Amino acid sequence: MTIGRVLRLSLDFLYRLSGAMAAVSLVMILLLVVMQMAARWTGEMFRGGAEYAGYAMAAASFLAFANALNHGSHIRVSILLNAVPEPIHRILEIWCFAVGTAIMWYFVYYGQKFVYWSWKFGERSQGQDGTLLWMPQSLVLFGATVLAICLTDHLFSVLFYGRSRIVRNLADQSHGE
Amino acid sequence: AEKWDMPMAYPASNFHSEVGAEFGKCVTDGTSGDIEIVTHPSGSLFPGAQIKRAVQTGQVPIGERLMSAHQNDNVLFGFDSIPFLASSFDASGILWEVAKPAIEKALADENLTLLYTVPWPPQGLYFKDEVNSVADMKGMKFRSFNNITTRLAELMDMLPVTVEAAELSQALATGVANAMITSGATGYDSKVWESLNFYYEVDAWLPRNYIIVNSDVWADVSDANKAAIQTCAAAAETEGLQRSKDYTDFTLNGLREGGMYVGPPSEKLAADLKEVGEVLTDEWLKDAGEEGKAIVDAFHAKAD
Amino acid sequence: MENAAIIILFLFVLFTLLGTGVWVGLALMGVAWVGMELFTTRPVGDVMLTTIWSASSSWTLTALPMFIWMGEILYRTRLSEDMFKGLSPWMAGLPGGLVHTNIVGCTVFGAVSGSSAATLTTVGKMSIPELRKRNYPEHLVIGTLAGAATLGLMIPPSLTLIVYGVTVNESITKLFFAGVVPGIILAAMFMGYVAIYSVTSKDWNPDVEEKISFGQKIKNSRFLIPILLLIVVVIGSLYLGYATATEAAAIGVVGALVLAAVQGSLDWKSFVQSLMGATRTSAMIALILAGAAFLSLAMGFTGLPRGLADLISHWDLSRFQLLIVLLVFYIILGCFLDGISSVVLTMAVVEPMVRDAGINLIWFGIFVVVVIEMAQVTPPIGFNLFVLQGMTEHEMGYIAKCAFPMFLLMIIMVFLLIAFPEMAMWLPDNMDKRLN
Ligand code: NA
Ligand code: NA
Repeated sequence: MTIGRVLRLSLDFLYRLSGAMAAVSLVMILLLVVMQMAARWTGEMFRGGAEYAGYAMAAASFLAFANALNHGSHIRVSILLNAVPEPIHRILEIWCFAVGTAIMWYFVYYGQKFVYWSWKFGERSQGQDGTLLWMPQSLVLFGATVLAICLTDHLFSVLFYGRSRIVRNLADQSHGE
Repeated sequence: AEKWDMPMAYPASNFHSEVGAEFGKCVTDGTSGDIEIVTHPSGSLFPGAQIKRAVQTGQVPIGERLMSAHQNDNVLFGFDSIPFLASSFDASGILWEVAKPAIEKALADENLTLLYTVPWPPQGLYFKDEVNSVADMKGMKFRSFNNITTRLAELMDMLPVTVEAAELSQALATGVANAMITSGATGYDSKVWESLNFYYEVDAWLPRNYIIVNSDVWADVSDANKAAIQTCAAAAETEGLQRSKDYTDFTLNGLREGGMYVGPPSEKLAADLKEVGEVLTDEWLKDAGEEGKAIVDAFHAKAD
Repeated sequence: MENAAIIILFLFVLFTLLGTGVWVGLALMGVAWVGMELFTTRPVGDVMLTTIWSASSSWTLTALPMFIWMGEILYRTRLSEDMFKGLSPWMAGLPGGLVHTNIVGCTVFGAVSGSSAATLTTVGKMSIPELRKRNYPEHLVIGTLAGAATLGLMIPPSLTLIVYGVTVNESITKLFFAGVVPGIILAAMFMGYVAIYSVTSKDWNPDVEEKISFGQKIKNSRFLIPILLLIVVVIGSLYLGYATATEAAAIGVVGALVLAAVQGSLDWKSFVQSLMGATRTSAMIALILAGAAFLSLAMGFTGLPRGLADLISHWDLSRFQLLIVLLVFYIILGCFLDGISSVVLTMAVVEPMVRDAGINLIWFGIFVVVVIEMAQVTPPIGFNLFVLQGMTEHEMGYIAKCAFPMFLLMIIMVFLLIAFPEMAMWLPDNMDKRLN
């Protein structure tokens, strides 16, 4: 296998792994909320259930960003993109991916600072869970990093192969047929 | 001229926010416009939970926060929320006086400088049904929102149910919870008489809001402006305390007009709660160590 | 005139980023970043992280992916098809036919969910494919869905009313009661529009449902039982105090899973598909919410919304004039901010203005909700447009055009509210008498 091939496979694996972690987080939200209700019905106490569900929410969102991008789930205004001829379309795509890449790497740069300071301050949740916040925040940072990598990946793809690797997943839409 | 955005967590009409706005105006005038304070009430800039960190890291120069919410970070911040330790405005004043040096030091360690602090009206017990002793509470569903309120529920033999502030009214209306502890002010603002019937003035504790400024920002303020700001802060502290007292009377009357019973607890209940308070003070002291013990001892020496 | 400069800059950057096709959530972050870099001296990156973390990790937000997941499960099982089998004999006779299922579905689901995105995805996921199959005009399907989904905000439980109630210190219970009648009237107006459209339009040519006997209709209604059961369980859990508004969503998911298992219509593969679909859809919405949170914070730092509200407070307006000015003000803000942010950012100035004018704050809450509902369907930033674009692949402009009649109906609704305040006030006032 060439290095390029290995890189390709590892990147695709990374996106799928992150997506799978997001799905697990979504199931976690369900379990946590159900546990919180069940605890109340039976007179038990589930400390910090709401906070844990909140962390799972953030994780489910950020970990799924790259996967959603690859499936074309993130929405954009494509009137102009669809109206222009191919060479300009390509320039516009490069612009979009460049802007997206820049914003997400900016986010990641400040994100690692953010998590670092949470860790350094030993900042804890103000809820009953008292969780050290750098832990759930790391999942958000991981998801944001994967999205940044993914946007970069697409940017290179448009630059060198003329098109991104986004594949609309038709099962995600509500088409009749 | 410098603009200081000041995030505040409570609605603009809350007395804390009003005092904050007056403080802002005082600073703007007192520094001849060198420092213009713009308040952002209702958590419209940062929600309450984020304000301390935002000030600490310089995202905003100044802000207001209920510091006891951060006792997971530092147990000391919970000194004003020990149930039944200092249960009147006067006692709360003494407690603050003896705790102030330790708290200011704890804040300084977090890159924060304290300008002033204002107590909330005292916390009382709300019930749907009449209660004359802790035994009467058995099995009731007590709204809890932090470690203290959960522990309180356990010690009073009630079921702690977690209800977030946003869902409080609905939870009371549908019976998810039928008892809680909070100030007369919060009960009045949430119009709890639509669901609950009894309010006992047990004055469990008087938590404080703190106006804090980023220490790096503070260091860069000229001495003249520092003095001007501190004058405004002292005025705001006095004004805030008075407003808190006035508001207590106003809201308790409001609860009465809403059709609630408002009054002191029965002797039995008061005695039961005192016992609960002693347990909770001991528990806090276990976590708070020497510094905490110094505060509680100094308080007892002065107050008793 | 600093305000004018800020407005022009925000608009220019926003239209450039959105127009060239940058993903909406990222574009909003970009606009906010530019605004903050230019108009504040604060550390923008740190502010961005604090805000986005805080907005993304919220407990109340968890209802959104749960309801989306519930919709995905129903869509992948026979349940949504069954619902149409049961409903179509009854609705087919009405002018406008099955398009009414969109509106009725959103109204009923609005009583379960507090958000309009959740209402939209759950109902849309089931109804769009079925209505398309039957050749209903696409623009009407999309438009009614975009409009009716906003009822989720008005019909209790409502996140918007909770935030408003907390902000202005009014009873949330009363606000909830106040929303019921206007919500139903608005739904009736949407249905009236569909009926009139179907009678007067030339392109009205859906497949005709088979005419069946009354007995057969009743018999077909058995298909409705599972879905009705699900709705009853979710609403019941809410009003009997077993679940809070946020938790009810999880009950919906469990209920949908149980129904699917009983029917035997959900295998492992479709379970995973439903889960991944829900994960992606909620990620799509979460990215936009993250961007919107940052943008709204940037607006707060610039002081723009409050400055404009301040400006209005200095005009000497009669009560009616004030309401009309506020209507226009919130419609314009609603083009660029989500509803809750525009309430929170302006209420400090607007509340005293409204109180001074002698306007009842409960009534004003309903007024504000209608206006926020409009904001959901106005470009360039309208959440229902975004969500529908994600679901249907139509361009946002097309969806906005489809929803425009509903937007006009909501404006009419505002004037109705002004003319007949009892619409909102009758229930809470009478509830009050009962309580005292
Ligand atoms: Na609703
Ligand atoms: Na809009």
